[in-house]
Amino acid sequence: MVVDTKRDLKLLAHLMRRAGFGATRAELETLAEQGYDAVLDGLLETQNPQWMGDYMVRRFHHEQSGMMGPRASGENWLYRMVTTNAPLQEKMCLFWHSIFATGYPKVIHGKVLWNQIRMFRKHGLGNFKSLLVELSRDPAMIVWLDNYDNHKGAINENYGRELLELFSLGVGHYSEDDIQEASRAFTGWTIGNTEYMVLRSERDSDWPYGRISWHFDYRPEDHDDGEKTFLGQTGNFNGEDIVDIICQQEATAQFIARHMYHFFVADEPPVPAWPYTPPRDEEAIRTLVGTYFDSGYDIRAMLRTLFTSNFFKNEGIRYDKVKSPAELVAGVLRLTGEFDRPRREIMDRALQMNFMGQMLNNPPSVEGWHQGAEWVDTGTLVERVNFASEQFGDVSKSGVKAMIDGVMADEYAISPARLVDACLDQIGVIEVSDETRDALERFAAQTGEERTRGKVANMLRLAAATQEFQRS
Amino acid sequence: MTTIQKTELLRYDFTLGLSAMEGRGFYYPTDTVIGDNGRLYVVNRSLESVDRGVRVTMCDLDSEYYGTFGSYGEGDGQFVWLTSGAKDSEGRIFLTDEYLHRITTFDADGNFLRVWGTHGSSEGELDGPCGITLDADDNIYVSDTYNNRVQKFTSDGVFLAEIGKGVLSMPWGVNVAPCGDVYVADWGNDRIARFTGDGEFAAAYGEPGRGEGQLVKPASVAVDADGNVYVADWGNERVQAFDDDGNFVQLLRGEATLSKWAINFLSINREEGEARTRADLERDIDFFDAADPHEVSSHIEKFFWAPMSVALDGEGRLFVTESNRHRVQVYRII
Repeated sequence: MVVDTKRDLKLLAHLMRRAGFGATRAELETLAEQGYDAVLDGLLETQNPQWMGDYMVRRFHHEQSGMMGPRASGENWLYRMVTTNAPLQEKMCLFWHSIFATGYPKVIHGKVLWNQIRMFRKHGLGNFKSLLVELSRDPAMIVWLDNYDNHKGAINENYGRELLELFSLGVGHYSEDDIQEASRAFTGWTIGNTEYMVLRSERDSDWPYGRISWHFDYRPEDHDDGEKTFLGQTGNFNGEDIVDIICQQEATAQFIARHMYHFFVADEPPVPAWPYTPPRDEEAIRTLVGTYFDSGYDIRAMLRTLFTSNFFKNEGIRYDKVKSPAELVAGVLRLTGEFDRPRREIMDRALQMNFMGQMLNNPPSVEGWHQGAEWVDTGTLVERVNFASEQFGDVSKSGVKAMIDGVMADEYAISPARLVDACLDQIGVIEVSDETRDALERFAAQTGEERTRGKVANMLRLAAATQEFQRS
Repeated sequence: MTTIQKTELLRYDFTLGLSAMEGRGFYYPTDTVIGDNGRLYVVNRSLESVDRGVRVTMCDLDSEYYGTFGSYGEGDGQFVWLTSGAKDSEGRIFLTDEYLHRITTFDADGNFLRVWGTHGSSEGELDGPCGITLDADDNIYVSDTYNNRVQKFTSDGVFLAEIGKGVLSMPWGVNVAPCGDVYVADWGNDRIARFTGDGEFAAAYGEPGRGEGQLVKPASVAVDADGNVYVADWGNERVQAFDDDGNFVQLLRGEATLSKWAINFLSINREEGEARTRADLERDIDFFDAADPHEVSSHIEKFFWAPMSVALDGEGRLFVTESNRHRVQVYRII
């Protein structure tokens, strides 16, 4: 079915902002020819995703190949977000990274953090049970939450506790005994050459020849294979059994569904408040929970339900979510087209994301980042507005040129109202409130009806500062 | 598997280097220039995000350390994306910077001499200069990455000729063989391109792939007096040798051992040294993707990881510079 109305474009723009990092006007027009359902299919089922590519990036950014330090893994990921044709895959990596938050300050190894994101890329749209097993085997997670120190007869509960509290069931749905039994089940799950690798990590040692990647190592002699009772079930459980039982729980389904709603639909309160605050849309959560069980814990199926639902398409939730710094920066850079080749400026762009409060692979704690309005304070708001405005103000960038060309090509975009319309269209078919529109039109009117490229560039910069552009 | 061969041409000898952001050691080295009197000049790209580590380390085969020159910046004698090096008949060192689009010359002791280069795509202009070499007459050949060509200049930087336009795709390493032919690591085309001294396309060696004689994004090429061709098969994380007709001869995966500097480090940092002796750094691993050599090399320390340069000395040695392992593996031609 071909869709060609402005309304359909706006709905597609909403989908691309939430399931991706936004789209240009020209991209939206191409997508509109496919129709919403086909576009969604493409987002969910992208085969052989294309982006700038490892070879191109590694040739010029050598630390993005060796990844010893804290920054390169995030810079590399930003390249992906900006140049990929599979934006939902990267969005899901961000989603899982925000829940299974793992950070450099303890791991001290950029490559293994990058490896964890790569694992999300592979499993993040697949089966939740498989994802949790892979997470439990992930070397960065094993060091981050001390499971290398979880031994038969001398358990370390850190991973077992967070697996239940932060990664699946949520507070209130397990006991302290369950934590201990889960931890017993994960004894023997460690990384290879534990002593040497952990020592190097603790010392931030890249001697003699750089970092050595970590690998999962199961040590049966260190695994407690005795009988365990977990969430009411009893057996000689290993880690996979614990994950299986976790995935059977209604609480797990609700937890993941609420995270999904929070990330893709509308901001919920921070996770610690969830036990005491009902979901914003309980019916939506019930719908997602139903798909979770009906599909056998399939994340892709849950996403399909979400993106085809009325609660997602509802105009009332548009521009209701504050973009995370990663979403904002990647979205702006996709519009400006700056990274047509590897450029050193990727470091500065990633650094500006840090100044806005989000350094990828370096969350503030195991809880990850609090989303929503907490992204914005006096300092970060200035960073966000300045960043977007500065990028749109550089008329040498191909994407900025294209946006200005697009406005200039509209012969009717002379009156303040039409000029504002044309500019909002070019930055991704953005809809704004009456208050925002008044401010933009006043600015457009100040310089009369003469339309120059410089004036259009300034309009784009101002549009980037609007709350609607800063939200999605 | 470390070596596949039809005829053994190369045999591992020893390893030079140690990861070090300053002073004695290497940090993301991209090339090794074989200087006069046994001196080696190891070109260090370092990190992009800090102003330390960008330098040329001077040492020799016995791991004697003679200091560094060059630094981060845009002034004379400074670099942003320090890439490759070469020397002329008088021992002067020529270095490329693919960010600043220019070439800088130092004397053999590391004193700055001059810098030249203009960003652009016209004759004599550069867009991402990377590989560099000189012929017997001290003419300079520079791989001009984004202009998809090699340019030939006099030793003073005067444009002479353009080679490979329409043939090459993002070339990286370049070398002039003893016979006078010009060999180019035709990175974007996954092959080695051979040109006559007049710049005529003569042959191509290799094809895309991971098998014997196949290449993925080759970074560097060297040719010995017998016409044998040595390739840093960067995208496959290995080195391959071909004969003068381009027939596959040998494949190396890397056999690094501890260098003198590494042994010294581990003897001082005893806790780390002892833990290392208890580790098995060559164990069988269930790789995320066993078909991805970058992934495998990130786990197996002795394997090449980002081999960016192959260079021959006049004594039958091949020097393989590995960026991600901050070292140089030395092989003997037998």
